[in-house]
Amino acid sequence: MFDINWRGLLLPLAYLAVLTGTFVTFSTVYRRRKAFQSANLAPWFGPHLQRNIYLSLLHMEPEEGSEKAPKIPDSVIRAALLRRAVEDINRIIQIRTAKAACSSLLQRGSVGDDLWQRFQRAEKEMEDELRDVVMEANALVPGWGQIIFQSANEIAANKVLRDRLDEIEAQADSEKEWWEKRRAAIQTEFMKELDNESEKSHSRPTTSSGGGDDEPVLVDGSTPSTPSGGSKKKKGKK
Amino acid sequence: MSTDYTYDEEGYLWPFFVFTLTLIITLPLTYILVKRSRDPAASFPRIQTNFKHKHTDIVNTLRKKEKRKDRKLWLILAVAIGWVVMGYMLVLIQNTEAPSQKLWNPYDILGISESSTEKQIKSAYRKLSLKFHPDKAKPDAAKNETMDDLNARYVEISKAHQALTDEEVRNNYIQYGNPDGKQGYSINIALPKAIVSDGNGKYVVLLYSALFGILLPYLVGSWWYGTLRRSKEGVLMESSNRLFREYKDNIDEGGVIGALSTGQEYDELFKGDKADSGLSKVESRILAEGKLSPLAGGLSVKDKEKLEDLESGPQRKALALLWAYLGRIELDDPVLEKAKFAVAPIAEALNKSFTAISLAYMNTAPLLSSYYASQLLIQALPPKSSPLLQLPHFTPATVKAVDGDSKVHTNVQDFMDRPDAKRRSLVVGKGLLTDEQYREAVSVAKQLPFFRVAKAFFKVTGERFILPSSLVTLVVKGRFVPPGSENVPEIEPLDLEDIDPAEDDLDALLGRKVKKQIGKDEKGRPIYEAGSDELISAPLAASPYFARDHSPRWHVFLTDSKQGRVAVPPFTFAQFDRPILEADGKTPTFAMQTLKAQFQAPPQAGHYTFVMHVVCDSYVGLDTKMEVTLIVEEASKAAEMEQVVEDEISEPEEDSLAGIMHVAKGGSSKELKKREAKEEESDDESGTDLEGDDASETNTDTEEEDN
Repeated sequence: MFDINWRGLLLPLAYLAVLTGTFVTFSTVYRRRKAFQSANLAPWFGPHLQRNIYLSLLHMEPEEGSEKAPKIPDSVIRAALLRRAVEDINRIIQIRTAKAACSSLLQRGSVGDDLWQRFQRAEKEMEDELRDVVMEANALVPGWGQIIFQSANEIAANKVLRDRLDEIEAQADSEKEWWEKRRAAIQTEFMKELDNESEKSHSRPTTSSGGGDDEPVLVDGSTPSTPSGGSKKKKGKK
Repeated sequence: MSTDYTYDEEGYLWPFFVFTLTLIITLPLTYILVKRSRDPAASFPRIQTNFKHKHTDIVNTLRKKEKRKDRKLWLILAVAIGWVVMGYMLVLIQNTEAPSQKLWNPYDILGISESSTEKQIKSAYRKLSLKFHPDKAKPDAAKNETMDDLNARYVEISKAHQALTDEEVRNNYIQYGNPDGKQGYSINIALPKAIVSDGNGKYVVLLYSALFGILLPYLVGSWWYGTLRRSKEGVLMESSNRLFREYKDNIDEGGVIGALSTGQEYDELFKGDKADSGLSKVESRILAEGKLSPLAGGLSVKDKEKLEDLESGPQRKALALLWAYLGRIELDDPVLEKAKFAVAPIAEALNKSFTAISLAYMNTAPLLSSYYASQLLIQALPPKSSPLLQLPHFTPATVKAVDGDSKVHTNVQDFMDRPDAKRRSLVVGKGLLTDEQYREAVSVAKQLPFFRVAKAFFKVTGERFILPSSLVTLVVKGRFVPPGSENVPEIEPLDLEDIDPAEDDLDALLGRKVKKQIGKDEKGRPIYEAGSDELISAPLAASPYFARDHSPRWHVFLTDSKQGRVAVPPFTFAQFDRPILEADGKTPTFAMQTLKAQFQAPPQAGHYTFVMHVVCDSYVGLDTKMEVTLIVEEASKAAEMEQVVEDEISEPEEDSLAGIMHVAKGGSSKELKKREAKEEESDDESGTDLEGDDASETNTDTEEEDN
């Protein structure tokens, strides 16, 4: 029908080929790099020490020389699992509080996309971890899985409270020391004042030079009242 | 008539084209360059002081360096090239003769004036034709003339004569400017012929593909990745991510400083072996015993542990230097000294990102820590140190002399409130300040912009009650009263009012600024109130150690003290509507400033007690914290009140709202009545009027300790 001039079409076709080739190459390279980057993102949480302890207790290697692995008491394993649950509670609380903040910051452009990816991965990992802990708990004691996180939560809350208390109590000694010093300083100041007053009251009857004092003519009866007032104050301070 | 497009062969058009094109590009670039190179800090007032510390020159070099960094080399280059090209084009335009298309003028040809009569024309023609008729004239060999030239000249002369005498030819001349009638025109393209000539085509294509295939994608790509690289707060995205990880609900100022040291900016600052050089020296200095704090750097035990837990590297060095900076510790090493002053501005920039992060969590404590950290960074003070160290020449020894062994630090306001003789006797002496230093310190203290809140209340524009979910405006009225100011004028009660613009005043309602007319001059032109339409900035922060010029900002926000949550996120004010300083740049005006912040009222009616914070990001201890109560009325109750008013309106003699209220309440002055609805919200329980007794909670009372 048509006599196609293949030669003439060669150039446009080559152009199209180059164009699509560029796009395809770019997109594959870009995707591969993206995937590589997200695969190499640092984990959100550090190594899970408690889980590692629990797992190593569970799969104790037999010691050299002996055939059987040492027997771990049940209570130790249970305690290790509880510790693991407590750490999980800490992490889950961290994730829950961070989630809203992280997503709003991401929308505003205040944090990067990779942080959000890391965050989502951590969230997923935590879900798996929780399920794992529940299964382990049920395997150790039937029905424990339902309540293990409740007790873990209590333990975590208690620990937070105790840490805070310890922190406050740690300050007690230095505060006490400071106060002793301060009280001593105040005391000596008062004593000095007292001495001054008594000196003045001694000197006043003989010489009328009260300096800039606004009470040069003082009836003797009122003089003792000042020191006593002072000592009362001192007592109040103590 | 020819309508062929011709390219610019003589080269007289394309210079115009290139000139215009270059002008379009160069002018905006030049504008940007000029705007950038003008020092933005120069337009700000400054706090007047001659104080110089030992390292003022390092700080100044760093400040200058930062300003230079703003100027981009490529921009300067592009602008220079642009102007050179334009100049060259102008020269070309001047020098190339455009092919002359002189207007055909018969009078010139005949050598007569345009007012000549017909007779004169004829005689001139006759004279010329006698002289130039080809039969008569001989070609002048000296002028290189030929017979054709003579003919052409004669034709012109007779054409000119006809144009002035013959009716038809004259019409042609008038209509088309030529006695022969309409002339053909040509369109020229202002591109040099060289572009389309054979052989050059491939270069043009090459240039084209380079522009659109390489340069354009490169520019778009670098712009896009540039935006991805930096967060909204202008710090590196990776730093911002790290800061997010460092956030803790109970973080304190020291913790914030520690978090800021994770910034990726420091990785770039301390590349390679810079990360470790001198680190041990810095650490030994900051962990030595301090004069005011247990450790010289002002670190708490927790901060010390954090520093020691870090692996040595850029972060550890940055943190150590930050503590050295905050503790104002002498490092005796020019390189380390310089690094010490360089880390603080970076930390301050990072802190903006941290503020945004803590704001996303909406917890009060971290947000406040972040603001306090900013103050500390700008003033170079460690956490929990005396605010007095902000004043020039104040040393730990001086502070000790003021504080005694009290645990609560005297802040600048308290110190300056004491009588001059008393504070002088405290700080002037051997090992303390000299008289001159004392005067300098007091003069700076008397310039610190302390925003003293006079009143804070809520209102809804145009309403008397605050209804659920309505748009509430928090109005904060306050004055800049520098510490130790004398003769502070009384507050004008009228200044405390916030009067709604009239309902028909659209400009004011829509927030458009209108210059207030205050009179007319002798020629009847209106005189406008000076400065009423421009906002006034506070003086740049007096921060002799901070290697940037910083314009102080005030953040106003409401928190819920029971839950420790931020209720209304911060509104930031850097500029104010009334002048802060008199023309001499030193005396405060004590003008009442109005800060307004709008937010949505809670959806339920009730009394909401908030703690209002006014935090300045540049000075330590000049913050205000007070309680304000927001009363949200039920919609039905408000409608009831409205009903009462409606009823009253029907009474004939009452024509103004104020009058109605007056009758309804049977009480005092009109002015008072009008505001009553609003005032009861704040005044009743919060006792917001601070001005009188200066009872802001930040003014920690040291009185009892002194007894």
